[in-house]
Amino acid sequence: MSELSSQLAADLPENTGISPQWLKDIRETGAAEFRTHGLPTRKDEAWKYTGLGSLGLAQVQLATASNTTVGDWQQPSPLAESNLQLNLLDGQILKQAGTVPSGLTVLPMAEALDSGVNGLQVLLESLSIKGTKGASGHGFSALNSATLDSGVVIHVAAGVDAGRLGFTWSTSQGEQPMLFNSRICVILAQGARLELLEQFESIDDNANTSNIVMQVDLGKESNLQHIRFQQETDQSVLITRTEVSQQAGSEYAYFGFDLGGGLVRHDLHTSILGEGAKSGINGAYLLDGNRHVDNHTRVDHFAGGGFSDQYFRGVASDSGRAVFNTAVCVHPGADETEARQSNANILLSARAEIDTKPELEIYADEVIASHGATVGQLDELAVFYMRSRGLNEQDARQLLTTAFCKSVSDKLADPVLSEVISQRMMDVMPQAV
Amino acid sequence: MSIMLKVTNLHATVAGKEILKGLNLELEAGEIHAIMGPNGAGKSTLGNVLAGREGYEVTKGEVIFNGKNLLEMEPEERACEGVFLAFQYPVEIPGVNNTYFLRAALNAQRKYRGEEPLDSVGFLRLVREKLEVLHIGDELLHRAVNEGFSGGEKKRNEIFQMAVLEPALAILDETDSGLDIDALKTVAEGVNRLRSKERGMIVVTHYQRLLDYIVPDKVHVLADGKLVATGGADLALKLEEQGYAWLEDGGIATLDVETAVQTANP
Repeated sequence: MSELSSQLAADLPENTGISPQWLKDIRETGAAEFRTHGLPTRKDEAWKYTGLGSLGLAQVQLATASNTTVGDWQQPSPLAESNLQLNLLDGQILKQAGTVPSGLTVLPMAEALDSGVNGLQVLLESLSIKGTKGASGHGFSALNSATLDSGVVIHVAAGVDAGRLGFTWSTSQGEQPMLFNSRICVILAQGARLELLEQFESIDDNANTSNIVMQVDLGKESNLQHIRFQQETDQSVLITRTEVSQQAGSEYAYFGFDLGGGLVRHDLHTSILGEGAKSGINGAYLLDGNRHVDNHTRVDHFAGGGFSDQYFRGVASDSGRAVFNTAVCVHPGADETEARQSNANILLSARAEIDTKPELEIYADEVIASHGATVGQLDELAVFYMRSRGLNEQDARQLLTTAFCKSVSDKLADPVLSEVISQRMMDVMPQAV
Repeated sequence: MSIMLKVTNLHATVAGKEILKGLNLELEAGEIHAIMGPNGAGKSTLGNVLAGREGYEVTKGEVIFNGKNLLEMEPEERACEGVFLAFQYPVEIPGVNNTYFLRAALNAQRKYRGEEPLDSVGFLRLVREKLEVLHIGDELLHRAVNEGFSGGEKKRNEIFQMAVLEPALAILDETDSGLDIDALKTVAEGVNRLRSKERGMIVVTHYQRLLDYIVPDKVHVLADGKLVATGGADLALKLEEQGYAWLEDGGIATLDVETAVQTANP
């Protein structure tokens, strides 16, 4: 184990007095796992391209109830209006604005653990924290479970359309970089609908690490639109894991936009458990400077007639480094599944690097599957065409790269939000160097 | 009349191969010149060289446009100075809205000229006006630049861009290629509406057909990298009739046409 892992393990909170017992079990199991394996290392296949050296160098410290105070802090302004807006600071709810529609329950994790929310225990217990073959691939999840007490629980009652719920995530700037753990649970009962708009954006520069696990349980015919916009500061580290389970006829649509951050890792996994469920997983990542963005997505089709589409676009310049690993597994019996994977990238400098790997395993019949991954440069003829109309070279290139990434934001149902995000992408669009 | 474009002894290579081998051309404002010639003569190279496309290297000669050295300018400066190339193969730009692109281009040119940018309302007004003049519907506006356009739509879009950008010099590179007769007429009509005393045009074409609709002031024959003959509109008709075999059979003298003269080459 690294020095950092040992230090974090030593700082894990005591579990005396934690109740109920199942919560104590989750925390103890997490702690035991973490004490054994620690944080992932490059020896783990899933972390081959992503090292955590920067956390060790920053001597990041585990945030606990005793060394954290949630104070007043400057918050980013939301990208778009929401029915209900939550500002989260250092992994905890700081402020809540708007109205809570009937049928929607939004509670701080600690309160939800106290009062109990339908399906919460089962959901929390379902998180796998063991890495494959005894590796530490899920070390962050183990750490997250070992400290489980903060975050948010969202429940939408059957048949209710809860509209848009907005989250802004930011971290505060202290004397020492901190590691914040937070857990989000989203439970949609049968036929429920929700749009979750997450925005990661710290106003003040910091070298904090956020370790956030989101667990989503989608009931029959329910629908979750999940938009994640990330423009964190240059030094910050954002480690997130999203686990989605989908019952029959449910729909999960994810749109991720990575515009910032120093080191960003997102593991997104959906399990299609019921017939005819749909998963659309879309993302764009824009990198310059020394940014490192690693997206690992996986769809497991356990039931037939399902549909999954993974669509990612990436641009890297300067010394930016992107990793994209997308996997689909169509398990025995998941017949008549349709699975698509598409990842295209543009490299704008010789030092930038993009590693993309599609994986496809099929053990069922009547499956339609397609996958493609490309890494290339801008179309020089298109650049010339635009210049021949009067645009300068820089603008022409910026417009082309924005258009490339805009194919992701264009998929958003809300044209206003789509426009806001495409403008934000244009503002930070990496330039060729 | 003043000389708008003066090309002198222009030599250009593409991928190390010399394509233009001493081309001379003078064009006055208000004139339309047609450049015809067999395949491989260098017709498209001329347009690309004038527009400043990368990979087209000028090895000798000069091009003076409105008193300025055109060859020293970046492609966008040439555009801002008023040079417009209608592409033989207009480029598809997925994801970039046609209207947005054209407004960005127009405003870049206005900025260069020290004019205020047009806002979206003002721009839309201008666009409607041009569409009406050109008899083009507005369906092209809402799509990405040339993406999925038919051949005819792409060429009409080039003419539409030209109408909005109002260049001083328009170079139409085989704008007739791949068009059926109706599309050809629409495009030619558009071009004719943009004829003006201030505007010069170079119409590069392989076939005479386009010149039935766009009647040029002068017709040049380009062969093996040079202009070898110059005449009036009737020269084009003769070429249609007699082909280009005379180029090898002893020159323009063998071609039965009154107005044409052998072009003097240095």
